[in-house]
Amino acid sequence: MSFLRLLARNRLALAGLVVMAAVVVLALITPLLPLADPDVTNTADRFERPFGAAGLLGTDHLGRDLLSRLLHGTRLSLAVGFAAALIAATIGAAIGIVAGYYGGRIDNVIMRGVDMLMAFPYILLALAIVAALGPGLMNALIAVAAVNIPFFARNIRGVTVSIANREFVDAARLSGMGDARIILTEVLPNVIPVIVIAMSTTVGWMILETAGLSFLGLGSQPPQADLGSMLGEARSALISNPHTSIVPGAMILVIVMAINLLGDGVRDALDPRLKSGALSRPMPTTLVRRETPPPAPAADDAVLEIAGLKTEFHVRDRVYRAVGGVDLSLKPGECLGIIGESGSGKSVTALSVMGLVASPPGVITGGRVQFDGQDLIGAPYEVLRRMRGDRVAYIFQDPLSTLHPLYTVGAQLVEAVRAHHPTPRAEARAHAIELLRAVRIPNAESRIDSYPHELSGGMRQRVGIAMALANDPEVIIADEPTTALDVTVQAQILSLLDDLRRERGLAIVFITHDFGVVAQLCDRVAVMYAGRIVEAGPAAAILTAPAHPYTARLMACVPELGGGRRHLAAIPGLPPAVDRLPAGCAFAERCDKAQAACRQGDIPLVAHGPGRSVRCIAPEPAPEPAPDTVTEAAE
Amino acid sequence: MAGYIFKRLVSAIPVLLGISVIVFLIMAMIPGDPATAILGSYATPENVEKLNRDLGLDKPLVQRYFIWLGNMLQGDFGRSFSLNRPVLDEVLERFGATLVLAGTAFVLCSLLGVAAGVVSAARQYGAADKAITFFVLLGISIPSFFLGMMMILIFAVKLRWFPVSGMWPIYGARDISALVGHLTLPALALAVVATGVIARLSRSAMLEVLRQDFIRTARAKGVRERAVVWRHALRAAMVGIIPVLGIQAGFVLSGAVYIEMVFQWPGVGRMLVDAILKRDILLVQGGVVFVAACYVMFNIAVDVAQTLLDPRIKT
Repeated sequence: MSFLRLLARNRLALAGLVVMAAVVVLALITPLLPLADPDVTNTADRFERPFGAAGLLGTDHLGRDLLSRLLHGTRLSLAVGFAAALIAATIGAAIGIVAGYYGGRIDNVIMRGVDMLMAFPYILLALAIVAALGPGLMNALIAVAAVNIPFFARNIRGVTVSIANREFVDAARLSGMGDARIILTEVLPNVIPVIVIAMSTTVGWMILETAGLSFLGLGSQPPQADLGSMLGEARSALISNPHTSIVPGAMILVIVMAINLLGDGVRDALDPRLKSGALSRPMPTTLVRRETPPPAPAADDAVLEIAGLKTEFHVRDRVYRAVGGVDLSLKPGECLGIIGESGSGKSVTALSVMGLVASPPGVITGGRVQFDGQDLIGAPYEVLRRMRGDRVAYIFQDPLSTLHPLYTVGAQLVEAVRAHHPTPRAEARAHAIELLRAVRIPNAESRIDSYPHELSGGMRQRVGIAMALANDPEVIIADEPTTALDVTVQAQILSLLDDLRRERGLAIVFITHDFGVVAQLCDRVAVMYAGRIVEAGPAAAILTAPAHPYTARLMACVPELGGGRRHLAAIPGLPPAVDRLPAGCAFAERCDKAQAACRQGDIPLVAHGPGRSVRCIAPEPAPEPAPDTVTEAAE
Repeated sequence: MAGYIFKRLVSAIPVLLGISVIVFLIMAMIPGDPATAILGSYATPENVEKLNRDLGLDKPLVQRYFIWLGNMLQGDFGRSFSLNRPVLDEVLERFGATLVLAGTAFVLCSLLGVAAGVVSAARQYGAADKAITFFVLLGISIPSFFLGMMMILIFAVKLRWFPVSGMWPIYGARDISALVGHLTLPALALAVVATGVIARLSRSAMLEVLRQDFIRTARAKGVRERAVVWRHALRAAMVGIIPVLGIQAGFVLSGAVYIEMVFQWPGVGRMLVDAILKRDILLVQGGVVFVAACYVMFNIAVDVAQTLLDPRIKT
């Protein structure tokens, strides 16, 4: 039922369905219509024009009624096309199911044969078959069906293989069912949607191909005529009497187009991957639709200031509030950590700065990102592009998927430089080698010509860092740059970043879920939960005495080397879904200190000791750092 | 690289043998006596018997195959009775003309199809995307022979921009400009369907790539969007597009049959249709095997191009 509804929602497919239904009905009732005999010649009335005395569409080169011939030809073409599709689908599916179900040697032999057949240029094989069988409509049908069998066999085999290894097939086997019965009752029903998709996408082809063979004079023989042979016969009079060609040609076009539209609709409705609308590409910058005017910039010494940032994902009619009003500021040369579980909105916050949140579905709905005296939210693409990589650079998590797999690291570094500073290639290359040295890559001169897949994970991440350094940016936003690496490599990368920061006076936003990293690298830290900051302040102060229960629980999850026997407490429950955020504190559900007041109204982020703030109505008492707080909170 | 090419060439041998077996078996399906089929029903029994002996048809099937194969390997594809000349000579001559037509069409459909797919993907749901999607649908739905006929009507008969048919002018110089004039319409007509298919697949390949992380990296580097699309995304998408080009080359090569009929192009397709109607079995057999073998070789070239393009493939 939902299949039909999906199909009906697709207007083009619906149009195809309507046209196709009309053509099929017309073809079915053709014998009942008061039409002239399609084969009666009347050479006195040759080539009558359409809409004249001799019928609606005129007559052909033998004076036969064109309308009648068109409808009879359509009937024949449709019948032959569908028959060929049915035969190809039946035989092809049978072969595919046998090969896929039995596997092993049977599969091997069959698929070899199929590959051989597919090595032929398509129509050539049909020609060879017609050559052997002799011209004729039946033979053309056999040829077209035969040529399409390999396509079905291969598709169906693939699906069958995946089904044959499923539990319900094993269960059927164990219950003593025979192979034939398993195939008919378990495999076939699951394969049928694939057969339908394959048929709906190929039946148009088959109508075209049989028409083509008839056009060449190898299909239907006179006086019987399908659309293809009508076109073939009309060809000699193309210039003098084009209507005899246009009538059957346009009919083929209409039929095939309707089938293709319908076929696309069927495929989209049956293919679950397309159903979710997964295939939409992100635009060059994130969509901005601010619902409230941005807050005024705070005039201080911050190099980057985020205020009231709201980023949402709009999927269908759902709204996911990934970032729900975040304020952050970054001073020159400072390292700011953003910490939180996955899904807390820390990465989205970081990507929003330069408009890099994938959009669709991402939308920035509010806030300000103040950098270099201007608001970057809603800034024109060219303004953002000039800053990206030049003044604000990113380091991403998994360098294998974030580096282009088909360009050498050198080419990618050179590009990073030349995107902003037109330099001669040789010079840019020398600069790239320097950069690789700066991130302590040994043999930089030879490594520069390596492809990303030829480097180890740690080396790749160094390349990612080198790329971020390429233009000496003021700010680097590092989005979990060490998460994908092993611990020793992690430590090297962290100390590298720390060194570079001191050498170059970089300001770093460091996103992580690891408190150890925060302790090692960050001056200040912001803890995020469900898209909002729940606690912020100097890293050392928060690490020794977390004020928000969430921070405390999060820290309790981290095992500590040499910490002795300590209870490791996972936080019970899951973060709330950001499309259904509860009123009040988002953490209340999982917090063991939650009270009724926690679930009412908005809880503001309030100052809490020097330089610190917390979003909690009952925070841990501030500045008195008790060394055992961490352990206590865990128990 | 040379080693890889050699390996691919060796792996083509079983495919080529398979092709020859399939063609041989199809031809062996001919109902009745092939010699009678070739000579017609008025042939004298002596002539039929002689031809049977000449063709080796009095021998068992397997033996006949190896004789045929051995002869082919020595360049002897037999003699066309309808043209009274060696099959190979005729096929080679005709194949040249087909190659000009299909080669041009292939270049056209590759360039146009990929470009259309890239633009379509980069402007997803925009006006250009919708227009391209519409033309693609039209292109893959229109029979190429009908399109060719309409092109003749409009551009040759009505507007007189191009000649109606043939490969060379009947009178006048056989130079490159004459060839281009004659080639334009048939090459375009032949390219249209493949352009549609390639555009469609390029679009979805591009959409797939544009969602990848390394595209975000390129954007984060501040690379211009045009370079993001045409350099970063297209390069990665080509890995998926190249095999499609290889498959479409087969469609273009064999689809040339229709276009050669419509435009009276002296290619191998028209030769095959004539040979089928005249029951010139040896000519059909030789032509099909030759073209299929060329296509296999072309696909090896496609594989090699693929390894050059993707350093991750081990050669």
